[in-house]
This record gives sequence, C-alpha cells and structure tokens, in this order.
Amino acid sequence: MKQKQIFYLTIVFWLLIFSGFILFKEYTLRTGTEILLKTEPIDPRDLFRGDYVTLNYEISTLDLDEIPAEDPYFDYNDRIYLALTLEDGYGVPKKIYRNPPDDELFLKGTVKQLIYDWEEDEDSLIAEEPRVKELRVEYGIESYFVPEGRGIEIERQQWTGGEGVDVKVVVDKYGNAVAESLLIDGQELEI
Amino acid sequence: MFDEDFILKWLDEGTIDHAQAEKMKEDLAEYKRERRSKKQIVAFSTIGAILIGIGAILFVASNWEKIGNTVKVLLLVGTTVGVHYAGYRLKYEQQKYPRLGSALVLLSALLFGASLFLIAQIYNINANNSTLVLIWILGVFPLIYGYRSASIAGLCSLLFYLWVSLLYRESPDLDKLISIWDLYLISGISIYFLGVLNGLTEKVKHAETPFKFMGLQAALFALFAHTFKLGEYQPDKIVPVIYAILGILFLAVLLPKPLRERLIGFQADASMSIVALLMAGITLTTIYIPASEETYMVLFNVIFLGLLTLLLYAGYSTENIGIINTAMFWFVLLIFARYFDFFWELLPRSLFFMLGGLVLLVISVVLERKRRELKVQFSGGEQ
Repeated sequence: MKQKQIFYLTIVFWLLIFSGFILFKEYTLRTGTEILLKTEPIDPRDLFRGDYVTLNYEISTLDLDEIPAEDPYFDYNDRIYLALTLEDGYGVPKKIYRNPPDDELFLKGTVKQLIYDWEEDEDSLIAEEPRVKELRVEYGIESYFVPEGRGIEIERQQWTGGEGVDVKVVVDKYGNAVAESLLIDGQELEI
Repeated sequence: MFDEDFILKWLDEGTIDHAQAEKMKEDLAEYKRERRSKKQIVAFSTIGAILIGIGAILFVASNWEKIGNTVKVLLLVGTTVGVHYAGYRLKYEQQKYPRLGSALVLLSALLFGASLFLIAQIYNINANNSTLVLIWILGVFPLIYGYRSASIAGLCSLLFYLWVSLLYRESPDLDKLISIWDLYLISGISIYFLGVLNGLTEKVKHAETPFKFMGLQAALFALFAHTFKLGEYQPDKIVPVIYAILGILFLAVLLPKPLRERLIGFQADASMSIVALLMAGITLTTIYIPASEETYMVLFNVIFLGLLTLLLYAGYSTENIGIINTAMFWFVLLIFARYFDFFWELLPRSLFFMLGGLVLLVISVVLERKRRELKVQFSGGEQ
C-alpha cells in the first residue's frame, strides 16, 4: 500500500472515530428527554481532562425493597434498565428491568456492587440464603468536567447552599444519557 | 564499523598509501559528523513533538472556558489533521525534512489522543476511562506499520501500560485474579515478544527495538517491585498458564535455527523467555505450596540479579550499549533499594548517609569507567 493511501485511510479512520463519538452523544442530546437528578458531588482531578466533579446520584443506589425489579437475581456488571417517572422535572425510579421496556422513559445502567441482606439465627449463623438488598449502579454520567479550579468551588457551594446540587440529564429512547449541566440551588452553573 | 585503527593498520601493512589513508580519515570524520547531526535532529524534533503533545493534553485538561465547544473541537481536530498532513508531506512527498516529518506524525498521534479526551470532556464521559486509551491505541497502532514509525511503536507501548493500569484500577475484580506486578510483568514480556515477532520480518523490523526496549523496561520494573516485601503472594490459576503460554511462544521462535538467526539480540530474548518460564513455575508452585514473604523476597532478588547478569552478558555479546546501560541502571537501583532495606535500622542515620553516599560514589565511578570502556569498544573510539 502506498504512503498516500495510508495517509488518506488514517485521516478517514481518525475522523470516523471523532465523529462517531460526537454523533452518538449529539443524538442523545438532540432527541432525548430532559430530566433532573439529585446528586452529591465531590471534586477529583483527571490527568488528561482536568477538574471534574464526581456525581453520586440518588439513583446510584437502588433499594430493592422500595423499587420493584422484573427479576431479583443480579450479578456484578449486569446491564439493567431503570424506568423513571417525572415528578416536577425530577426523574424518580419506578421499576428495574433486565430488557429495555416499551413506551417508558428509562436509563441504561451497569451493576457495579451488590449489597446483601441476610438473617442470622441465635448462634449468629446465617439462617437463609443471602438476598440482594441494594444495587450500586453506574449510568455513564458520573463525571462532570469543569474549568480548572472550579471543582472545589462547586463542592463548597454544595456544602453552603441549602438545596444541594442537581444535574440536568438528557436521556434518549435507548436509555443512553448525557449530563448536560449542573444546577446549584436551582440555578444553572455558568461555565 | 571500521575505525581509524584499521586505517593505521592498513597503512602499516602497505595495503593503502598515505594519501588514501588521509582521504579515508576525512571521509570517516565526515561520516561520524553526519551521523551525530542526524541523531541530534531526531532527538530534538522528537522531544519537541512530545512537549507540544503534552502541552496540548494539558491545554485540554485546563478546560479553557472562553471558547465554545464546537470551536474547541474544530481547533483540536483540525490541528491533528493539519499536523499529520504536514508530517506526511515533509516525510514522503517533499522528502526534504524526513526526520521532522516523522516527529510531526508522532505529534499528530499525541494530538489524536488529546482530541479524544477533549470530546470526552465536552460530553462528560466518565473519568479514567480505559476505553479512551484503548481507542487511542487502536487509532494510532496502524501507523507503526503504515509509516514504518519506530516512535509510534514506543508511544503505543507506553499507552498499553497506561491502559493496563487504568483497566486494573477500574475493575475491582481483577485484583482477585492477578496482582498488578504480575500484570505488568506479563505485559512487559508480551510487548517484548511482539518486538521479537517484528524482528523476524525485514519489512517490520523497524518496530523491533522500540517494542523490545519498552517491554524490557516494564518487565524489569515489575520484577524489581517483586524484590520488595509485597505481602501475601496469591496468584490465581490463570497466572501460571499465561506465563507458560508466553514462555512456550518464546521457545517456538527461539529454538528453530532459521528463526533465531534473524533476531538481533538472541541472548536478551532468551533471558526473557527464561523469566517467563521461571514465573510459570513459581506461580504454579505458589498456588499449591505457598511460601513466606521472606522466601519470595529472596527468590525474586536472586531472579532479578540473575536476569541483570544475563542481560549484561547479552549486551556484551551483541555489542548493544542500550542493554548494558539498562542492566546497569537497574543494578544501581537494586543496590540502592537493598541498602535502604537492610541498613536503615542498623546504623545511626548520619553514618548511614555518609556510608551510603560513599558506596554510591564508588559504584558510579566503577560503572562509568566500565560503561566508557564498553562504549569505546563498541563504537570504535567514539565517546
């Protein structure tokens, strides 16, 4: 293969990768539904992408006693689909599915931790098979990048502000989500 | 390479006359000047490209707020494509500045990564994502063979270790399967083996040295870590299997004579194959008969010292100053580490530092003298 062909192939390959990333996320942003999610941020730093806040959502922990699940057996790294209802713009968990539900607003997530509950008898022995009580789930929207030095400021605002921090998330019909903006005390954060 | 000693010898023997000897000396001096100058250009342009690339990544990391997202993406992607085009033009079309062209192609590979991180930053894609680094590797790996680029082979090896580290950090279950040091050692031996495979075919031989160099450094780093007390050593059953597969693959290449003869550093390759097979044996034994922390520490110190000795022998046999420098560097580090381990609590601190300093000075003088002797011997008088 000639160098010229390699050059053109490289450029096309690179542009395909860039545009693939952009189009995938832009599709979600342009066709999706906006919801608000309650969160508690902290501010780490990424070697390549700078300051960001880690977003720990209320829906990051799912209590199976409160939220019904289509199938109660879960494993690490299982794919789940969390159906949501909208209440005053906020996404509230409704049901956990193993397959994408029809005609419902849902978020696609991955099980990252299983928290078990077991009953002990008088001798402190486990009486029954432990059952999964809670799930720790990641939705791919746990990071929000901010300009250098703003991470600590946002964290401080979160501690001093009464209302805490919300995130405006856009969810498409396949359950893919993009974190669009941060809201502190209901006000969108200007970056 | 022949040197001035040969010219004098030929002159004494009457093979050449004084005029021919003078002409040969001039040509030799010119050749050496030219070679030095080429090396300087490669060094400066590569360092320049790396600095600009790191600058671009830090620029992305600072998340500059004044420019809109679209402009940011266009700016960085445009620069990546533009720099790549400039590198391609200078190296292949105009061919006036091929070394600068190679450096610009390397820079474009770094900018490709920076652009990926920028897009991930704009869309708030989860941090520390090993997938991004994997895409970076996949994006630039074809250039190693397309453009016959040794520097991109080096970059891909570095990115591979970064990917391994991120993957290990992001997958909590992986530490139950394998320790990070075994993972680095396996990665290092694998990258080294990739270098061996590249050395077998003339068309891809340019990637042999960078892969072998990076693989060797990673393997030595991981083995060096093993020489410390690492706590309980509990490899999973898969670990000896991986080491054994690597060892067998090495043997499959090193044992047949026609294949072996194509490799430039057979002795060093053999030492890596020995390490892979030894590790297969140690990890397999550990699963069934675990030993104490001290036993492993002694064992790995012996293996590490043995490997360094083998590498010194390999470097000396193949007249490879790079391997000798590498072995000596790790040898000094090992002495340093063991000195701190054994004597820190035994001596009063002032005496500790004075003695330590003295020991290191003596070692550095001895090593420097030895290194110079070898370098003179290999390069025929050039220091």
